[in-house]
Amino acid sequence: MKKVLVACGAGIATSTVVCNRVENLLKENGIEAEVIQCKIAEVANRQDDADLIVSTTILPTQYKIPAVIATAYITGINMEALDQKIIDHLK
Amino acid sequence: MSLYEFIREDLIKVNLTVDNQDQLFETLFIEAYQRGYVKKDYLQKLKEREAVFPTGLSMGEYSVAIPHTDPEFIINPFIAVATLEKPVSFHLMEDKSKQTEVNMILMLGLNEPHSQLKMLQEIMTLIQDKSKIEQLLKAQTPIEVQEILKKNRS
Repeated sequence: MKKVLVACGAGIATSTVVCNRVENLLKENGIEAEVIQCKIAEVANRQDDADLIVSTTILPTQYKIPAVIATAYITGINMEALDQKIIDHLK
Repeated sequence: MSLYEFIREDLIKVNLTVDNQDQLFETLFIEAYQRGYVKKDYLQKLKEREAVFPTGLSMGEYSVAIPHTDPEFIINPFIAVATLEKPVSFHLMEDKSKQTEVNMILMLGLNEPHSQLKMLQEIMTLIQDKSKIEQLLKAQTPIEVQEILKKNRS
C-alpha cells in the first residue's frame, strides 16, 4: 500500500485539514493509501517507506521522494490542479 | 466543536494599531497569557515558528495570516481574532521569499488536531470567503466580530 505524509509546520492546523482532504481524494479515486499527518521536521526520518509528501508549508530540505506543496487547499485557489497532481503521483 | 465555540470575546482585537509582526504577536500574547490560555513560552515559540514556517496566506484580492505553534504551549484552546488599523508584513506559507500585507489575523491556539477538524475546516472556509472577511474588517467592536462569526456557524 502507498503511503502519503501530510505535513505542516506544527503538525496541528493546516495538515489536519489537508489530511482529511487527501484521504477523501484518494478514496474517491479508488487509490488505496495510508495517509499520515506529521510535522515537516519529522518528514526526513519518515520518508524511507513513504511515496509522497504533501506539505502546506515550505520544504526545509530536499527529500528522496516527491513532494507537493498543498497551500491551494488552504486558500482554495487551484485546488483541482493540486488534486490531479497528487493522484498522478500515486497512480 | 465549531469555530464559534473557540472564539473568545476577550481575545478579539478590532482595528488594532501595531507597527510590525513582533508587536502584533506580543499584544495578542499578553492578552492570551494574562487570561490563562497559553504558557509563558508561547510567544517565543510562536515567533520562532513564524520565522521558519510562516503563515501568511495570499487569497488573491486580500491576505490573511493564521499564526500558531505547537500544541504543548496551549492551556485552553482558543482562536484570537485581530483586525489591524494598518497592515503588517507576513511571509507566505508556501514561499518564504515572498511577503504579503495582512490586516486580518486569526491566531490559533489548538491542542487536539483531530477533534478540531471541523473547526479548522470552518476556518479555511471563512478565510476563503471574501465578503465575510470584508465584514470582519469593517466591524467596530468585538461583539460585532462575534456576531459575524456566529452566522458562519454550520
